Amino acid sequence: MSTADPQVPAPGDPLTEHPLLEGRHSDRAYSESLLAFVHRPPGRTWWALLALGLAGTALLVVAICATLFVGVGTWGNNIPVAWAFGITNFVWWIGIGHAGTLISAILLLFQEKWRGSINRFAEAMTLFAVTCAGLFPLLHLGRPWKFYWLVPYPSSLRAWPQFRSPLTWDIAAVGTYLTVSLLFWFVGLIPDLATARDTARTPRARFWYGLASLGWRGSARHWRQWRTGYLLLAGLATPLVVSVHTIVSFDFAVAQLPGWHTTIFPPYFVAGAVFSGFALVITLLIPARKALGIEHVVTPLHLDNMAKVLLATGWMVTYGYIQEHFFAWFSANPFELHATEAEFSGPYAPLFWMQVFCNVLVPQLFWFPRMRTNVAVLWVASLLINVGMWTERFLIVVASLSMDFLPSSWAAYRPTWVDWSLLGGTVAFFGTAFLLFLKFVPAVSVSEMKELQREVDASLQFRREEGTRPGGAP
Amino acid sequence: MPLLTDPARTDVPDAPERARAWRSLEEWHAGGPGDEAVSREHPPGAMLPPEGVARRTFLQLAAASLAAAGFSGCFRQPPEKILPYSTPPEGLTPGVPLHFATGLEWNGRTVGLVVESHEGRPTKVEGNPLHPASLGAAGVFEQAALLGLYDPARAKTARLQGVEAAWSTVRDALRERARREDGGAGLRFLVEPTGSPLVQALYARIQQRFPSARIIPCGVGVADGRREGTRLAYGRVLDVVHDVGRAVVVAVDDDFLATTQPGNLRAARDFVSARKPEAMNRLWVAESTLTLTGGFADERLRMRPSQGVALMLALAAEVGKGTGGSTLASGLASLRVPTPALTDAQRAWVRGAARDLLAHRGQGRVTVGPGQPPLVHALAFAMDEALGNAPRLIEPVAFPEAMGQLPGELLDGRVDTLIITAWNPAWTEAVDSGFTRDLERVPFRLYHGLHEDETAALCPTFVPATHPFESWRDGRAPDGTASVLQPLIAPLFPGAVSEVELLSVFAGLDSQSPYDLLKSLWRERTASPPDFEARWEAWLADGVIPGTQSAPARAVLDEAAVLKAAREVPEPKAPEGLELALVLDSRLYDGRFAGNAWLQELPDPVTKLTWDNAALLSPATARALKLEKGDVARIEVQGKALEVPVLVLPGQPDDTVTLALGHGRERVGPVGQGVGVNAYTLRSSSLSWGGGITNITRTGRHHALALTQEHWSMEGRQLALQFTQASFLAKPQALESLQEKPERLYPPNALLKSDRHQWAMAIDLHRCTGCSACMVACQAENNVPVVGRDGVLRSREMHWLRIDRYFLGDPDDPGFITQPVACVHCEAAPCEYVCPVNATVHSDEGLNQMVYNRCIGTRYCSNNCPYKVRRFNYLEYQRREPLTQLRQNPDVTVRSRGVMEKCTYCVQRIERARTVARSAQRDVREGEVRTACQQACPTEAITFGDLRAPDSRVRREHEDPRHYKLLNSLGTQPRTVHLVRLKNPAPKGGA
Repeated sequence: MSTADPQVPAPGDPLTEHPLLEGRHSDRAYSESLLAFVHRPPGRTWWALLALGLAGTALLVVAICATLFVGVGTWGNNIPVAWAFGITNFVWWIGIGHAGTLISAILLLFQEKWRGSINRFAEAMTLFAVTCAGLFPLLHLGRPWKFYWLVPYPSSLRAWPQFRSPLTWDIAAVGTYLTVSLLFWFVGLIPDLATARDTARTPRARFWYGLASLGWRGSARHWRQWRTGYLLLAGLATPLVVSVHTIVSFDFAVAQLPGWHTTIFPPYFVAGAVFSGFALVITLLIPARKALGIEHVVTPLHLDNMAKVLLATGWMVTYGYIQEHFFAWFSANPFELHATEAEFSGPYAPLFWMQVFCNVLVPQLFWFPRMRTNVAVLWVASLLINVGMWTERFLIVVASLSMDFLPSSWAAYRPTWVDWSLLGGTVAFFGTAFLLFLKFVPAVSVSEMKELQREVDASLQFRREEGTRPGGAP
Repeated sequence: MPLLTDPARTDVPDAPERARAWRSLEEWHAGGPGDEAVSREHPPGAMLPPEGVARRTFLQLAAASLAAAGFSGCFRQPPEKILPYSTPPEGLTPGVPLHFATGLEWNGRTVGLVVESHEGRPTKVEGNPLHPASLGAAGVFEQAALLGLYDPARAKTARLQGVEAAWSTVRDALRERARREDGGAGLRFLVEPTGSPLVQALYARIQQRFPSARIIPCGVGVADGRREGTRLAYGRVLDVVHDVGRAVVVAVDDDFLATTQPGNLRAARDFVSARKPEAMNRLWVAESTLTLTGGFADERLRMRPSQGVALMLALAAEVGKGTGGSTLASGLASLRVPTPALTDAQRAWVRGAARDLLAHRGQGRVTVGPGQPPLVHALAFAMDEALGNAPRLIEPVAFPEAMGQLPGELLDGRVDTLIITAWNPAWTEAVDSGFTRDLERVPFRLYHGLHEDETAALCPTFVPATHPFESWRDGRAPDGTASVLQPLIAPLFPGAVSEVELLSVFAGLDSQSPYDLLKSLWRERTASPPDFEARWEAWLADGVIPGTQSAPARAVLDEAAVLKAAREVPEPKAPEGLELALVLDSRLYDGRFAGNAWLQELPDPVTKLTWDNAALLSPATARALKLEKGDVARIEVQGKALEVPVLVLPGQPDDTVTLALGHGRERVGPVGQGVGVNAYTLRSSSLSWGGGITNITRTGRHHALALTQEHWSMEGRQLALQFTQASFLAKPQALESLQEKPERLYPPNALLKSDRHQWAMAIDLHRCTGCSACMVACQAENNVPVVGRDGVLRSREMHWLRIDRYFLGDPDDPGFITQPVACVHCEAAPCEYVCPVNATVHSDEGLNQMVYNRCIGTRYCSNNCPYKVRRFNYLEYQRREPLTQLRQNPDVTVRSRGVMEKCTYCVQRIERARTVARSAQRDVREGEVRTACQQACPTEAITFGDLRAPDSRVRREHEDPRHYKLLNSLGTQPRTVHLVRLKNPAPKGGA
């Protein structure tokens, strides 16, 4: 180990130019600082937030019971608007989950170092978001107790699902997504669970963390196999980033409804998913890094990078909007034209313009580096983007349905308290799950942080040696 | 004879706590009114929670979510031993319905019907093809009356002076009343006008026994300008047979296609049959609100109700000038034309109509609505006579002769006994007549009605009436043809008594049953032929007594009287201010159907309003008054005021407020309770159908109107198509793009080449008047539930067949078209490929089928259906109540919550025909399968059949140059095609 001061950054190194880690910490320090929240008894704020989350979750349970016992008629859906909040929420939550997969899988394959501080966080978010999302397709069924008919299983009825329907693809896509996300999250968690076991202060915690860490001892062989498995899972998860939301978009694109029947939908949905996912990561990370005291590993650089992703995906989404409306005009199809006009100036126009503001204008702030690292701006913008993305899905689902081919059937949609409770309730459930996650699971990958620290150290060491060697590279 | 005989008519006054299981209606009903059973007797949909879940339910659910206990099974057999038919009634094969000819009467006219009966339960009302007023069609009232039979809110027990009593006790009291020495001076009967020979004979008999007694007709239909018009023109009251199958029809404020007019089914058939696309007649309509007749017109004119006189004077003068020759013509020509009272457009309409009438002498008809004053009617008769159009007059069918308002004398102190069999006079009589006040002075007042309604509340003595399908009677069609109206079922409630039974007490004939009375009357009338029994059975089976139609009345027009009246009428002035027009409701008639959930939920054919009435305003008037749809306005008329929600109706004449009577009932059971506002409160003896409005103001309140169609424009799309005859004949290829098969990537559908039947439908918009009979037929046949006002407000109505209505052009004076749309059974159905569980599939006969058992309710099929004809059971709409279940069609699955449903092309009827054909070892024949909508349609606008059969009518219509496929460009290849409507406006140069 070098005696040179590692705090002094060497110029020209991508790892050290902008600090991914603030300060230099020992392994023990990392274990302590990153697991502090797990081992410490939670504070009053945590309990207050948890109570709030549980109250919201209770509302969710009541709304679910209303849906199951009285019927999906407790929602505001009608004919023609047979899908509304339920499917909007489904698409929104699924989209939010995408950031997790993108960060964990694709950025891992690209060996982006900054992912390490936030991937655990984002993966957990993915899991909870997909859980929330999965609730809606089930509840929105007229007869939810028959949901398993969507699954191809050897039924004694000898009836199979109808494979031309995008809904059967959905089941497969979302099911795979949930499974792979869960595996990915858990596999990534194993070394940290072991760390939690080793640093646990009570025998009970030690027992449970020990059970969950599957006997991890940190041997070189463990590490080698773990790394291979993790990379393999990343490879598996990568196509899912694209496939899940593509298939979700098929629910719409495959139908012939004006406003749904669009070939731009798959890429546009994927970009929108990453967009909203990153926005939610930012929304949650900004308060969490403060509360958990992990600002030394989630640095302004991370925020800056995520804001750039927002800007990029924001433009992709904007491109989608432009294409969608351009082709509606270019097709000269009266139904498509009317759907477009209705968005601009119809009854849902205020929502449309709100969506344009949130999803197109707000991200433009991030052209400015100062805005990208300004925590307040970033937080508000990320919230707005999430609202905007929800609005976008609402407009796609509801506005298109409420005005289709025969004007005689046109009707507006009004949500009921059950609709609002399900939306609010899933948000609360998500929040509750997240609070529990922060409490019981290391929110930042401790092992990856340690590894990163070593990489940084090694890199600095290498730089210095290069610089001191006569005739070495500048 | 009804098959479900009443097993034991023993009253069970002290029945123990009502058992959950029941074997007969009597047992089920033993709890009597007011018990827990009655409170649960809500008709389907009426009690749906406003937001899906009420607060109380919310709490229950919160508890249930903890308990989450499984529910026990739904079907329970009675614990006692039950036995099947050991000797089934003759002619009954379980599962095979029987059909009985009967009929229904209101406003004195009868429509002949055929009622389908399953194991003794009437389940469906159809028209009687042999009956002249039906010709196989059935209107909305006739069909929906069936639901009234099974109405749980029907009155069940009799009262005598406020005390519950059995009918026998009441009968004894009545016998006591009939034993009188004063010749009936204190005896009065308030009755519905009736054409029934039996009831008329009973009246005659009562008059004979009590010469001083008076039998007085009442009801809104009684105040009829047409009757008085015949009195003015011909010196006595005559019936006018609506004979509109003419080359030129000029209708002034006469909505002869309206369900509320007697004989509308026949009038619609006659008129539309004279309107062949290749040789069209022409319809001129001047009207004071937008009606179906106006929508059908070739030349429509908006007028205020008060302008009828001015318009007719102008028309008569114009016709008189053109006719020449006779004294009548010159008399008419000499009438002064009130030019300032008419607008330019109105004068042009008058000139055009007169020219058309003159060009078609002897083939025209001038007809006037009952709301117009007698003079207007008399002028119409005079014009028809002058033009040689010969109005069809017969001796009045209905008795007693109408007298307009109740004479005040009726209820002076001398009356001691008042028998009311008329429908709810306390509700329909004008407020200022003092009827209710006088009524309470009568010591013995008896009301005989189906419900404990507003009049029943004022009468301590009450006798529950039988439903028309529960009692023997006879009746006469508008043209006089007599029918025997058979009962279909023994009275569901043992306390119910028929009108004949009640009257026969006063006629001294109560020792005989109504059946015996009826039979002996007709034996007498036909001079007791030796084969009377055989004839009688034939009459019952056919539903018509042949040779009984009225002969034309010998009546000569009293020219002088008409001309004199026309000259003496005060000079019509240019109208000013706002006018109110009261009309009978297209769905509730005078209010008697307010408890009928089918009719409450049936959208008004013009406004598409359900579960409410509204003040109709033209767009211009609404703008001027700053009122919008749903604003509650306060209308003041002659010192009376009413707050009523506003509906803006394109095509409504300016400064005219149209308001339907019959809503706002106070005592009608859970369905109609408090639905709408009571327009009778504005009615008075001087204002029976309308008059000037003193003031109309905004209240600032808002009332949500449950409309099934909010959007009235077609947005320039080719949906419900209408051409002028000339333009279509000149360019029939205009429809080509809507007829050709769109190109497809996949191989064409091979179904049409298969050897199976290929079912298809054609709906001719040219024949569709929009009357909505098909909608009710579909509802009854297919057990379609109602969803209530909240359901309609949430756009969840369940009608499998709807009638789309569009306005064309200028919102102030628009064109109007109706288009029935049900599932069109696309050959390339968009719903099928998106269903994840194969719940909607295609049959090899071309039906797009719903498999209810398989449906899990993703609703994707509805989203992808461009016609939006799929209906979803968002909540449990079907009530599992014994009485409601009796009415259901056993051939059609009752759908549970969470299941999608839609038009099946009446697949149960196809299968029934196939069963019959197979057992006869032949193929299903053309015309053997008739869908419910097709059967009910008065104008035969709907055709159904096998597209593969070379000579089928549906195939002809599918090849007609007028046919087109709705939304053809989507490539769905619908099996139901529509045929364009043609219009025949007067040539521009000639007008």
